Amino acid sequence: MIDAAPGAPPPDWPRAGDEIGAQNFGPFAQEALARYAAVSGDDNPLHLDPEAAKAAGLAGPPVHGMLMLSCFEPLIMGWRRDLFIARLSAKFLRPVLAGDGIRVIGRVLRSAWVPKPELILRLTARGRSDDLVILAEAVVQHKNANLIS
Amino acid sequence: MTACDPAQAAAGLAPEPGETAPVRLAAIEVRTEPGEVAGFLRETGGIGTGDFVPLTFPFRWLALPAIRGLILQLTGGEGFLPVHESQSFAYERSLRIDTDYVLDVEIEASEKPPRLILKMAVSNGDREICVRLETVLRIVRLVAETDI
Repeated sequence: MIDAAPGAPPPDWPRAGDEIGAQNFGPFAQEALARYAAVSGDDNPLHLDPEAAKAAGLAGPPVHGMLMLSCFEPLIMGWRRDLFIARLSAKFLRPVLAGDGIRVIGRVLRSAWVPKPELILRLTARGRSDDLVILAEAVVQHKNANLIS
Repeated sequence: MTACDPAQAAAGLAPEPGETAPVRLAAIEVRTEPGEVAGFLRETGGIGTGDFVPLTFPFRWLALPAIRGLILQLTGGEGFLPVHESQSFAYERSLRIDTDYVLDVEIEASEKPPRLILKMAVSNGDREICVRLETVLRIVRLVAETDI
């Protein structure tokens, strides 16, 4: 609920530099990739067939980038339920192989309340060796911003 | 979900060899089927309350025959695979469960480096844009065992 003087954010509105606590997802077993392929339609053999992965120069099938990207939504919603994710853009930097998991974390880059309550978040996913696998940015808005129907 | 016939959608729209002009598909009708939304939620990270459409759900529509067929055609056929390089979603309106939408899809191929850039807009029944997606796929040549 937005309940503050005009122009002033409520006390609990995040500020630049605030962290979104890390959350682990996975490990993503080969069976999980098969199930994701079934529900997403992304049955690229790269993710499902070790031979295809090998032919692409990988030691094993990589986890779908979109399966890992999907983890940012529960991260953000677990942080604050009053936000709407208006934008999410990501680059997939390194593969995570089946059997491994990721650790996702976020940080507030910019915080605004007027003209609309909006945050810009830096989001990252790291693999087993703490290597950066996804670099992403999100624009989130307060659900009561009346910008979204 | 529903879709127009893939052959009809792509008929006459595929680029000539070497051509890199964007290819625009005919509009495709889709639906946020509750069972498909629930299945997607179940496999994508643990917020499976089932009362909303997940942010990345529209990505699954890239697997529709009309779109998938064109991606495979532009990828170069056997011996090549698309690798997801980047992805963006820009929402103007939330998607609702059990609701009809229309997809407008444009695919552009670049040769150096070999990539496909897919732009998809999801509109509601009033033809208002709900979300725009941009997907960049890098085309990777598979190495045959004899090449290793």
